[in-house]
Amino acid sequence: MKLNPYEIRKSILQMCYTSGEGHIPSCFSIVEILVELYGNVMRYKPEHPDWEDRDYFILSKGHASAALYATLQNVGFISVTDLSNFSKYDSILGGHPDRNKVPGVEASTGSLGHGFPFAAGVALGLKIKAKPNKVYVLIGDGESNEGSIWETAMVAAHRKLNNLIGILDANQSTSRCLPLTNAVDKWTAFGWNVLEVDGHSLKELGHTFKAIINSKQSCPTMIIAHTLKGKGSKILENDGYSWHHKNPSEEEYKAILRELE
Amino acid sequence: MRKQFAKTLEEVGDKDENLVVLLGDVSVFLLRKFQERFPNRFYNIGICEQTIISMAAGLSALGFYPVIHTIAPFAVERCYEQIKIGLCYQKLGANIVSVGSAFDYAALGSSHHCYEDLAILRSLPNLQIVYPSSEIEFDVIFKETYNNGYPTYFRLPGNKHGVQFASDQIRFGNGIKVKEGNSLTIVVTGPQLKNVIMASELLDSEIIYVHTIKPLDVELVRHSVIKTGKVLTIEEHNTIGGLGDEVSRATEDIGNVIQVRMGINDTFLTKYGSYGQHCTALGLDINGIKHMIEGLI
Repeated sequence: MKLNPYEIRKSILQMCYTSGEGHIPSCFSIVEILVELYGNVMRYKPEHPDWEDRDYFILSKGHASAALYATLQNVGFISVTDLSNFSKYDSILGGHPDRNKVPGVEASTGSLGHGFPFAAGVALGLKIKAKPNKVYVLIGDGESNEGSIWETAMVAAHRKLNNLIGILDANQSTSRCLPLTNAVDKWTAFGWNVLEVDGHSLKELGHTFKAIINSKQSCPTMIIAHTLKGKGSKILENDGYSWHHKNPSEEEYKAILRELE
Repeated sequence: MRKQFAKTLEEVGDKDENLVVLLGDVSVFLLRKFQERFPNRFYNIGICEQTIISMAAGLSALGFYPVIHTIAPFAVERCYEQIKIGLCYQKLGANIVSVGSAFDYAALGSSHHCYEDLAILRSLPNLQIVYPSSEIEFDVIFKETYNNGYPTYFRLPGNKHGVQFASDQIRFGNGIKVKEGNSLTIVVTGPQLKNVIMASELLDSEIIYVHTIKPLDVELVRHSVIKTGKVLTIEEHNTIGGLGDEVSRATEDIGNVIQVRMGINDTFLTKYGSYGQHCTALGLDINGIKHMIEGLI
């Protein structure tokens, strides 16, 4: 499946501009991660979302839902019409993803620190069933302020959940209050296999995921993905905090779109 | 109660390979036989209750029936949001089995008391709440509900009411009429049934015992209250938000009903000592309950 980061970002921007909702910079920072996962790494069947042999993806930083929706549409889980209804009263697509509404969404997230232990539960369940499926879970560095992230870090390492692959969207989102410093050291100290990548390099992401899938380590893996909040638009990149949950005017929308092109 | 919990889990675990036990580092010795027999489905996860609830949600999404077990304040209050979103909102079944609710751990003080659990849990859609206070109640209701797709909170008391119900009298969601009467309805839950029966001797009161707080047996309660016009609720819980409120919801449209609640009257229990001492101080003993019944009749 060939996915195009530009098309995904354009969809995100369109959804958020039209609806007046969404977290654009938080979405833009994870686009390449999603493109690589859904384009080249994960096993899934859009026509059969509950396929038993699928790999699992859990967006623990659920406020980046628009990025997930745009990706799910591009690979065939949901329709363009669904995207156009983003955040409307009766829409299946809300500001945070809902597993009981959206095909392809495995966990209802939004409250930070919930999706990560949920993913560990799925990984444990797959171990009990002796199944080879992988569980990919994307967390934020701001989300890593939550204690449950580190509880789960201990539990997953202790339980040797090597089918659990975390991706840390290190976009410096809470550097103004409680920054996640020395992330590599921290995750290593918690007993995880840790890799660092440029989170916007499809090539690096591809090599990294491939290496993990082929490796035989007995512990879970955390990929520290260095990203930019608002990647692709200098307007957003230069003022990520202000844009966190802000929506563009018509002029701003056009300007951001031009930057993406 | 705890021995029955272990026995029931072992029996269900023997028949159903989807039953998975997650502990918050309590009752490890108690459940050692389950661990020995089903090591692949027994996990003493650690003292990280929020993570345990969310992991249970993940396991449930995969088709497992998780049983989460730890002390009430940590199982419920510390991880209220995980119960709300992880289990109730996502419609993922799991069984939270607590010990140490109310003031069962009297001497350990307020951090280990938990008499608000029913209040906060009652407000969560999709959640079932069961307060079984004899072994057979837990055994029958757990086997009836553990895999029905809903999250269920089992509040295991440290003391039993001592009444021997037959298994065919026990059904999830159904109250049990223990005594007929015409002047007052008493709706009681938990171990206090014992005191209520003794306090009601020779008095014209109807006793309804409920092991299921949510859903309440509304029909049974309403039928009795329409007859008597007066209802006394008795529970080892804050009088705000527990059985008293559930009965009030069930009867509020009947009209001209006098309702009185016995329990913990919106205060923290700051003493230590024993369970019995706390009951006496709260009027939750034979004399206190008898005095209240006589005043209402």
